[in-house]
Amino acid sequence: MDRDVLDEDFRDCIQELSNVAVGRAADLLARLLSTFVIMPIPVVNLLERAELSMALSSVQGAYSVSAVCQGFTGSKIAGEALLIFNDASFTDMAELTHFEGEITEQIELELLMDIGNILIGACLNGLAEQLDISFSQGQPYLLGQHINIEELLNKNQSGWQRLLTIELPYKLEGRLVNCDLLLLFTTDSLAILRDKASYMLEY
Amino acid sequence: MTQSHNPLTEFHWLIEVLQTVDVGVLVLDLEYCITAWNGFMENNSGIDSVNAMDQSLFDVFPEVPQDWFKHKADTVVQLRNRAFTTWEQRPYVFKFKNNRPITGVTEFMYQNCTFIPVISTKGVVQNLAVIVYDVTDMATSKIELNLVNQRLAELSRTDGLTQLYNRAYWETLFETEYMRLQRHEQDVCLIMLDIDHFKRVNDTHGHQAGDKVIRAVAHEIADNSRGTDIVGRYGGEEFVLLLIDSDIDNTYQFAERLRNKIAALQVVTEAGVLEVTVSLGVACWLPKYQHHGQWIEAADKGLYRSKEKGRNQTSIQSD
Repeated sequence: MDRDVLDEDFRDCIQELSNVAVGRAADLLARLLSTFVIMPIPVVNLLERAELSMALSSVQGAYSVSAVCQGFTGSKIAGEALLIFNDASFTDMAELTHFEGEITEQIELELLMDIGNILIGACLNGLAEQLDISFSQGQPYLLGQHINIEELLNKNQSGWQRLLTIELPYKLEGRLVNCDLLLLFTTDSLAILRDKASYMLEY
Repeated sequence: MTQSHNPLTEFHWLIEVLQTVDVGVLVLDLEYCITAWNGFMENNSGIDSVNAMDQSLFDVFPEVPQDWFKHKADTVVQLRNRAFTTWEQRPYVFKFKNNRPITGVTEFMYQNCTFIPVISTKGVVQNLAVIVYDVTDMATSKIELNLVNQRLAELSRTDGLTQLYNRAYWETLFETEYMRLQRHEQDVCLIMLDIDHFKRVNDTHGHQAGDKVIRAVAHEIADNSRGTDIVGRYGGEEFVLLLIDSDIDNTYQFAERLRNKIAALQVVTEAGVLEVTVSLGVACWLPKYQHHGQWIEAADKGLYRSKEKGRNQTSIQSD
């Protein structure tokens, strides 16, 4: 993918779409979780392969860092959402999801997946609505638990070097849940994304 | 050709597909009453649709945790977002039997479930669909794979003859313990133990008998050590024991007790009943050690002194 794939106009347009999506997501999340969601400012960028590897390596081996990934596809736009929990308290997550009971290791994983799915879904839906498409989301997977990160890093089958990425740092007020959401789009999705968003480019 | 355009026929085959598709389809209204129930659900639960329709889900499946389910449903309705459960976190949502009751290895069906918001013609979410996937085969093979991997890991750590830790694995544990002591001082003692005149046993009675002796000594060591002790076979007839939270007096007493027990052993071999003695060297961890090798050396020196002084005894090396 070349730099010119992400020209100024297109970047602004994706940025605007993301802003709106995040706003909607934050609103929904606030109502669902009864907590104020500190609105993140989305960063639209091209992600280098090495950067993703670095992010994944930090997940591997670190006890306190975990990541959930979830594929999405619809109207020929496909990608993966990667949610990296930098610092998250399971007690807080249990309260947010109204889980009462003993927090076993299994429950911890379920909480991560649930919160992950909610944060990813809220944002993805906001984006899909504006583009007037609907994504089908796959099962969320926990990196390290369901997917071997080492294998993931060693494999290089798709050969991509840079991906369009929307990065959203999420924070929930008064809760120890800090995470980064990365929406990664495949290179062949970009043309369609540009088409779908073209109404925003017309002035 | 006209058949395919007949709306009634179309509706019929659509329903037919829904009825027979090999995944569970369950639709609920927002009060959790069942409004659709396909063949998969019917067959696996043993409850036909007449008895399931319009019933509360929680009456039909009392084992489904209500609060958990309702919260999950809430997120689906409010966010218009799918929600998922995987067998790894929750083996099943609905307790169904394995669909291979005879050759299946688990009693129940492992499930992945997807919760989907169903949007009405008015554009609001009025129903909730739950799709149930049978992932029993996948789950059981993954569980088996994990067990095999665990077993392999165990094998790679274990000495085949004695079932104690092998030297390589014992050394990694020993090093970890040594590192831990640098941060958190504690009474930890190392014992090195060697069977006296073992070469003579081998030469006189054969290797078979020698192996039996080694196994009997290893067994005695394992039997007498605590769960927290780290015990390994260091070399041919040499064993190492790391006693956590045990001071020098305790360790000396332990070593002497072990020595006496081994001396009292009657090892039955094809070459007759054999008796063996062992020599031991004890060294406590000292803050002055620069390297974990020095600790081993100290215990080794103790062992050497026991040998020199006539074997079948324990020596403490305190520097």
